[in-house]
This record gives sequence, structure tokens and C-alpha cells, in this order.
Amino acid sequence: MSSLALHAEKGRPVRTSLIRQYIPLLPPGLILLLFFAIPMGMMMGLSFQPKGAEAASLANYGRFFTDDFTLIGLGRTVLMSGLVAICVTVMAYPVAYFLARSRSPWRAVVFALAIAPELAGVVLRTYGWLIILEDHGFINNALLWLGVISEPLPLAKNMFGVVVGLTHVILPFGVLSLLTSLQGVDPNLEKSAQILGASRLSVIRHIVLPLTVPGIVSSMLLAFTMSASAYATPAILGGAGFKVLATMVYEQVLFYVDWSFAAVMANVLLVMMLIVAFIGSRLEMRLHKKLHF
Amino acid sequence: MNQIVSGFFWVSLVCVMAFITLPLIVVIAASLSPSAQVTLVPWEWTIRWYGDLVASRWLDPFMLSAQIAVLVSVISGVLGLLAAYVVAFEKCPGHAAIMSFLLSPLAVPQIVKGVAIVLFLSSAGLYRWVGTPGLIAAHIILTLPFAVRMIATAMFNFDKNLDRAGQSLGATKAQRIRHLLLPIIKPGVFSGMTFAFIISFNNIPLSVFLVRPGETTLPITVINYLEYSLDPVLAAVNVASLLFVLAVIFVFEKVGGFSAQIHGGSK
Repeated sequence: MSSLALHAEKGRPVRTSLIRQYIPLLPPGLILLLFFAIPMGMMMGLSFQPKGAEAASLANYGRFFTDDFTLIGLGRTVLMSGLVAICVTVMAYPVAYFLARSRSPWRAVVFALAIAPELAGVVLRTYGWLIILEDHGFINNALLWLGVISEPLPLAKNMFGVVVGLTHVILPFGVLSLLTSLQGVDPNLEKSAQILGASRLSVIRHIVLPLTVPGIVSSMLLAFTMSASAYATPAILGGAGFKVLATMVYEQVLFYVDWSFAAVMANVLLVMMLIVAFIGSRLEMRLHKKLHF
Repeated sequence: MNQIVSGFFWVSLVCVMAFITLPLIVVIAASLSPSAQVTLVPWEWTIRWYGDLVASRWLDPFMLSAQIAVLVSVISGVLGLLAAYVVAFEKCPGHAAIMSFLLSPLAVPQIVKGVAIVLFLSSAGLYRWVGTPGLIAAHIILTLPFAVRMIATAMFNFDKNLDRAGQSLGATKAQRIRHLLLPIIKPGVFSGMTFAFIISFNNIPLSVFLVRPGETTLPITVINYLEYSLDPVLAAVNVASLLFVLAVIFVFEKVGGFSAQIHGGSK
């Protein structure tokens, strides 16, 4: 605003300086328009234009929601994401609780260890899980050597392997979102309950857990949306038969070269994410009101 | 009873921490073990897998990934600065709406952005862009919102009185930006650029659509190879690229000094 006033003093018309203010936005704005907004619009349009057909139609959406292959893929995506959401939240909770309450020197170590894997990238971690879980992997070799099993357990190339891998990838985000929530709970509430004779278990059940429900919900939603759109972990740890929406989209583009159907799948994925995010934000708002009157 | 509960808590904490660190330890062990089988009882270590990395098969994708990540990080930093200046510093009319446009790519899964870009390039007759130019453009779309958000946070925290003081002492706008604003928000800019570098260097879901033979990034080369082999050389590739990322973060931190900002709790 001050620059506006200065320009006006020099006798320049106010309007040009107002427009000039926006000039630095041109490069980032144009790049976003050209490589994000226009491609997204184009993809939406393409989804109504089945391969080889001239007229726009909903045929591809009909195909998506009647074909067993795509429906199973969609169901698998939802199941996988739901399982990961539960695993991430359950496993992140003790870590977040420790980080929120502990004053021990180990706190910094635990924090670094919990967050550091994010730097390693998905490939390294997925590769790590593959050598741990595959048929001749670390766990199977150890169990075979001990004589506990005679055949390798099917730990990789299936839902189990994918859920383990994704949980590992997403866990740091779960820890961070639960940590924020736990830091908002006054530790004195727990102390006073303990002084009044509540056991550890009932403090957790009746005070800590209810007060952190919004954090639990947001951690689950974050984990759900992150797993539903994950590509590399299902592709590597799931094996050839494990198809989720993300890997199906990739196949449609590169192997079947059916761009229109790929656009339909991508749109279904996008809409699913937006619905989950919308329900989540409504839920969080309601929970917030309930807790804070 | 209380002891059971707290015992259970500590056991679960230790288990989760073991779960988090296990894959990293296994990969490091595999990169040093002499045989292809990882047994975690390596009586003898070897660094020969690391020697195998000095081959164009690994060096070429590494160089491409590093170049793309550096370019993406610099371009995102510059574009992020321009955008954040208008939106967060000048607070132009409509800045909230512009900000949500700038952050909108965050709402779209990477795989969807990847499909959209590759379909756009193909239908717009820009198919020759698939490869390095497409990878750079796609990675910028991915990292720009993070850069904008981090730089904008730094600009929101900038004390406008400093700018007014400079102005009343006769400093021109360019001088105030160069000598006041930029030095103060430098940590924010560098944390945005570091973030952009890490995201670009490790990216899979966007790159997977935009690589072409001879122009393949390191993570894509690794996952393509993973499909038919668990060669320990892959472990060495992964450990080496992790060390590279850590070294880059270290350098960025030395230049930009953003760790104080991270500990200060800004997002």
C-alpha cells in the first residue's frame, strides 16, 4: 500500500502501479497454468472422450464402474489405504506420546529416527522391505534356518508386504500429526487424574484418547489419502498381480495407451481423495466444536 | 497394573522404533555384504558394490537426477520468491485467492498430476518434451507450492517496520529488497529450496511418466532394475544416493542456515 501512495505522489496513475504489483506473479502463474491447470482441464475433458469415439460421452465412466477388473482395483485401493491408515495411527501414537511428554535425552534421538527415513526416499525403504520380506529374504531365511517353517511365508508380493511398506513410508507423517494434537493436551489434566487415583490405563482411556480424537482422525485421513495415491510401494512390494488405482493408471498410459481411460481412473482417484478430504475436514470441525464447546 | 501399562508402552515404543530403522539397517548391511543373500551376519565386509557404482549405467542416471534436482530447486526458489513477494509481502488485493491457486497442486495426487502432464504434452504436440524438459516442468509443479509456502511464511514473519525504516532513510525499493528483505528471509528460501531438491531427487510418481530411454532418473532406474533382481549393487546405489542427499542438505544448511528456523517451529 505504501508503494501505491508513493507512486501516486509522483503523479503516476494509481491503476498502472496496481497492475505492476502483479508482474512478479507472471512467471510462476504461467508455469502453473501451462503445466498444471491446462493439463488438468485437458485430462478432465479427455475422460469424456472414449478412445476412438468422436462424440463426448460417459461411456468410459460406465466402463469403469461395471468392469470387475477396475472395481476390484478400486476396492483393493480402499482396503489397502484403510489398513495403512489404522496401522500408521496405532504405531505412531506411542511415538508421538513419548515425544510430547518425555524430557529424557532420548527424545531428540527418537525424533530424529522417526523423521529421518523421509530423507531416504521411497526406493531405499521399499528395497529394504523387499530384502526383508521376500521368499529368500531376511525373515524367511531366518525362520527356515531355525526350522520354524519348511516353506517360505508369502510376506512380499501381496497385500501384507504393501501395507508394511506403506506404513513405514507414511509413519513419520502420522507421528507429526498426532504430536501436534498431543501437544495441545494439557499434561496437568493427566497429572491431576493420577493424583485423584486414576490408573495409567484409565488416564489414557478417559483423558488422553478422547482429547486427541481430532489428531487421530487427521492422522488416519492423511495416511489414507497418501496411500491411495502411492505408486512406487504397491508397484514394487505388491508384485505383478497387485493392482491399485495408481498402478492401473500407469499401465493404461504406458502399456494400453488408452489415455481416455487413464484419465477416467485418475479422475476417480482424484474425486475419491477430495471426498475423503471433505468428509475429514467436516468431521474435524465437528470434533473440534465438541471438545471446545 | 500401572507397571503393566507402562511396560506395554515402552515395549511398543521400542518395537515401532525398530520397525522404523530396520529397513535402513538392512540396506546398509546388504550394501556391505559379500554375497547377494542378506543374512545380517556378515563375517566379512566388502565395499566392492560401491566400486561397481562407477559405471555409466549408474552414473548417468545419477547425474541426470542431480542436475534436474539442482535446476528444479533453483527455479522453484526464484519462482517461489516472486510469488511470495506479491502474495505475502505486498499483500496485493486478492492475495488469499492467488495463494490458494499457487498451492492448488498440493490437493492433487502426484500420479494424477503425472498423467495430466504426459497427456497434455502428447495431445499438444509437445511429445518431444518428454524426457528432461518434461521432468523439470513436472518437478517444478510439484515443488513450487512447498517453496511458495515456506518463503511466504518467512515473509509473513518479516517485520515491516524494518522496511519502513529503510524507506524513511531514503533506500530505494530495490535496495530494501536486496539489503533488508532477502538477507532476513534467506533461511526460509533455502529451506524451500532444500525441500524442492529432496522431493525432486527422490521422485517416482511423476518421473515414471516422463522418463525416456537414455534420459532416466536414478530412482526410476533402480525400480526398473528391482523388478528382476535384488542385486546388492542396488543397496550400494541407495546408500550412496542417501549420503548424497545428506551432503546436499548439509551444504544448503551451511549456506542458508535454516535449522534455527525449523527448530523455531515454523512449518
